[in-house]
Amino acid sequence: MTVTGSTIPAVSRGAGSFAFFRAVLRNHPSFALGYAIVLLVVLLATFAPWVAPFPPEFADADVFLQPPGWPHLLGTDATGMDVLSRMIWAPRIDLSIAVLGTLLSALVGSVLGALVGYYQSVRGLARLAAGFVMRAADVLQAFPVFVFAIALVAVFGQSLQSIVLAIAFVNAPIYLRLMRNQAMSIRTMRYVEAAWLAGLPDARIIVRHVVPNAMAPVLAQLSVNIGWSILLTASLSFIGAGVKAPTPEWGSMIAMGYQNIITGQWWSSIFPGLALAVTVFGFALVGSSIEVLSDPARRRRLSGRLTAARGAA
Amino acid sequence: MADENALSLDRRRLLETAALAASAAVMPRILGIPRAFAQAGSTMVVAAPATPQSLDCVFDVSLGTFEAIGALYDGLLGFDKIPDANVPVALREDIAFHPEKPGGVNMHGKLAESWEIDPSGRRAVFKLRQGVKSSWGNELTAEDVKWTWDRSFALGALGAFYTTVSGLTRPDDVRVEDKYTVSFNTDSPNPLLLKIHTNLYTPVYDSKKCKEVGGSDDPWARKFIENNGAGFGPYALQQLVRGQQAVFKARADYYGGKPAIDTVIFKEVPTSASRVQLLRGGAVDIAQYLQPLEVVNLRGAPNTVVETVPASFMIWVELNAKIEPFDKVDVRRAMNYAFPQAQVMKAVFQGLADPLRGCMPNIYPGYVDGLYTYDYNLDKAKELLAKAGLGGGFKTTLAYNAGDPVQEPIAIIYQTALRQVGVELELKKVPAGSFYNAVTERKQPMIFYVDSPWCPDPGYSLTLYFASKSYVNYSNYANAEVDKLLADTAATADDKARLEMTKKAQEIIMSEAPWTFVAYPNYTMARKANLKGWTYYTSNNIRFQDFSRT
Repeated sequence: MTVTGSTIPAVSRGAGSFAFFRAVLRNHPSFALGYAIVLLVVLLATFAPWVAPFPPEFADADVFLQPPGWPHLLGTDATGMDVLSRMIWAPRIDLSIAVLGTLLSALVGSVLGALVGYYQSVRGLARLAAGFVMRAADVLQAFPVFVFAIALVAVFGQSLQSIVLAIAFVNAPIYLRLMRNQAMSIRTMRYVEAAWLAGLPDARIIVRHVVPNAMAPVLAQLSVNIGWSILLTASLSFIGAGVKAPTPEWGSMIAMGYQNIITGQWWSSIFPGLALAVTVFGFALVGSSIEVLSDPARRRRLSGRLTAARGAA
Repeated sequence: MADENALSLDRRRLLETAALAASAAVMPRILGIPRAFAQAGSTMVVAAPATPQSLDCVFDVSLGTFEAIGALYDGLLGFDKIPDANVPVALREDIAFHPEKPGGVNMHGKLAESWEIDPSGRRAVFKLRQGVKSSWGNELTAEDVKWTWDRSFALGALGAFYTTVSGLTRPDDVRVEDKYTVSFNTDSPNPLLLKIHTNLYTPVYDSKKCKEVGGSDDPWARKFIENNGAGFGPYALQQLVRGQQAVFKARADYYGGKPAIDTVIFKEVPTSASRVQLLRGGAVDIAQYLQPLEVVNLRGAPNTVVETVPASFMIWVELNAKIEPFDKVDVRRAMNYAFPQAQVMKAVFQGLADPLRGCMPNIYPGYVDGLYTYDYNLDKAKELLAKAGLGGGFKTTLAYNAGDPVQEPIAIIYQTALRQVGVELELKKVPAGSFYNAVTERKQPMIFYVDSPWCPDPGYSLTLYFASKSYVNYSNYANAEVDKLLADTAATADDKARLEMTKKAQEIIMSEAPWTFVAYPNYTMARKANLKGWTYYTSNNIRFQDFSRT
C-alpha cells in the first residue's frame, strides 16, 4: 500500500496529532529521551527554589569539600556551598541566557535573512544593501566564535546582558543564511508572483507569504542552537568572562572545582560537567526530532512507516 | 640447508655488526645521557609560575625576578641565619632586635668586610672585601657601590623608594672614601642605615661593565641590566627565554666559594597543579607557589618534602577610606566583625596561614600582639552598622584577583557572612594582568591585596601601608597622629623610642581598622627529599646558593 501525503490530514489535528507524536516517540526512544531531559531541566529551573535542599549561594565554610553523602547529596565545594542545590539552580541562568540569546539571534537573523533573500535578485540599491549584509555576515563568521564572544563580553562588560548579546551576535549569521536561502527560492514561487501582481506591498508579501513558508529549518536550528549556546555560556563562565561568582552556573562551577580534581575532590566539578553534557545532548536530540517532523517529506516517510507498523501489528 | 643456515647466521651477524657500527656513530649522544645523569647531582630544576620579566630590580617586582636577583647579585650585608623554630632543617634570617650589636641587628658582611655606624645615626662606613670579582671579571670597588646608588637616584621608580627610606636625599650622600671604602651620610638619624643593605633589592652593580655596554646612549645600562646579570653574586646568567626558562650557572670565582648546585634551570610552569605533578614525578626539584590543598595533598608523597614556615606575607582587604561608607570607622570595624576569619583559615588556607591579627608581619621585631579585637561576631557588626546609621545595610563591591586562587573562595565566604548583617557584597573578578592597576587606582571600595614589607622593621612596614603620603597606602587611610609617629620613627635611630612610637601607631591603626584583616599565609617549600639547605628569607624568595644535595 502506498501512503500519500493526503493520508496525513486524515490523522486529524488535536488528539490525532498527539497520537501521532506519541507514536513517533515510541518509535524513536532517543527523541523521547531528548524531550524528557529538556522537560526535566526546564522543570528544575522553574521550581529550583522549592526543589533545592540548600540556598545556592550560601557558603557554609565549616563543611567545605564534603564528599557526596548526607545531607549534601552531591557534596560541597571549596567554600562549603551545596553542589546539588547549585546544579539545580544553574539551568535558570544557563537556560535563560541560551534561550534569550538564541531567540534574539533567530529574530534578527531571520528578519534580515528574509529581506536579503527577497531583495537579492532585484536590481538597484536593495541588492547592494543585501550584498553588504551578506559580506558583513561573512566577516562575522570568519572569526572563531569563542574568541569573538570573549571580545564582545570584554567590550560590553561582564554581565548577563552582554553574554546574551554575545550569543545573539555569533549566532545571527546562521539564521541569516538559512532564511535567505529559503526566501530566495520561495520568491520565485508562483504564489509570490501572484501576490506581487495582485499589488501587495513587499512587506506584506514577506510577512504573509515568504516567512511562514521558510520557518521549518529555522525551528529545527533553534533547539540545536540552544544546546550549543548553553555550552558557550558555560565556556565563557569557565574562563571567567561569564557570570559573576558565586552565581550558580555550570561552567563557573566546573571552573571553581577543577583545581580540586587533582587533589581528589572531583565532585564539585564532575557533577556540573555531567549536567551540562546531558542537557546539551537533550537539546540536540530534540533538535533532530524537530528536523524530522518539520520536513514534510521526512514526516511523510515516517508517518508511512508508522502506519505500516500499525497495520502489521 | 646448511648453507642457507650459514647464510642466515652470517646475515644476522652482519646485521649485528651494522647495528654496532650505527650505535657507535651515535655513541656521543648516548654517552651524553649518562653524563647528564651524573650532572643531575649538581643540577637543580625549579618549577616556577613565571620566568623573570625584567632583571632590573629598579623597575620589576615580578615573581621570577626575585629569584634571579638573589642569584646574580650580592648586597653589602646579610642577616645571620638561625634554624626555624618549627622546621629545624630549614634556616631563616635572625631578624630579631639585638641591642648589643651595632644598629641592633645580627648580620654578617657580604660584599662589605667590615662596617661602622656613627653614634649620631647619620653615617655608616663600609669597608669592601678586596679581590671580589663580578661575573664579568671586574674587581669590586667603592665606585661600584656609588654608581649603583647614583643609578637609583637617576632612574627613580623603586630606586627612589630605597633612597628615601635610607634617608638619602642627594647622590652626594653616598661617598667614595677610598678605593675600597664607601660611606652613606644622612641629614637626620636613620634607623635603616644598616638594615637596608640586607635587602634583596639593594644589590651592587659592576659599574665598569655597565658603563662599557651602556655607552653614552644608555648611561645607566637599562637595556643590558634588563636582560643580563651585572653583579657580584654566586651565579651568572646563561640563558633567559621569557615564558620558558632561565638558566643560571654557578661561578667558580665567586668570592664565597663556588655554590654546590652547578646549574639551575628555572622553568615556567604556569598552573600549580602541573608544578605539583612535575615534583611528584621527579622531573623537578622544587615546585614553587602551590595551593594550600595541594600542599596538604603532597605531604607523605614519596621522595618529596613539604615544609611550611611563618612568613612576612600578609593578605587583607583594603577598605577605601575615601569611598562611602568606609569613611566611617564604625563601618570598617563592623566589616571586620563580620569576617569569619577562623573559617577562612580552615577552609581556604587549610591551616597553612595564621590569622592576620596585626597591621604588620607578626614575625618582625616591634610587632605588638593583642590589638586585634574583631573576633567573628555578627551581632556586634549589626550594632556598629546601626550606630553608623546603616542599620538597614548597604551594597558594595569587592574586587579580587582572578590569578590568586585563594581570593575568590574567601570573597564568597565573606559574602555569605555579610549577607547576614544586611550588607550585599557584589564580587568583581579582575584579570591578573590588570589587578595591580585596579589596586593602585584606589577606585574600588574594597579590594584584596597581598604584600610583604621586605625590611624587617616596624617603622618601615607601617610607613608603607599607613603613612598618608605613602604610595603603597592603597586604602587611603589618613590619620595625622599616625603620620607624625611614623615620621618621627623614621628620623631617629633610638631603638627604644622607635618601638614605643610604632606600638602607639599600631594601637591607633588596629582600632581604626583600615583593612579587613585576613591572613598571614605561610611560605611553603615543596622539594625533593635529597635537597638540603633551604633558607626562608623575608623577601619570600629562594636563593639557589643555599642548596646542596645529600
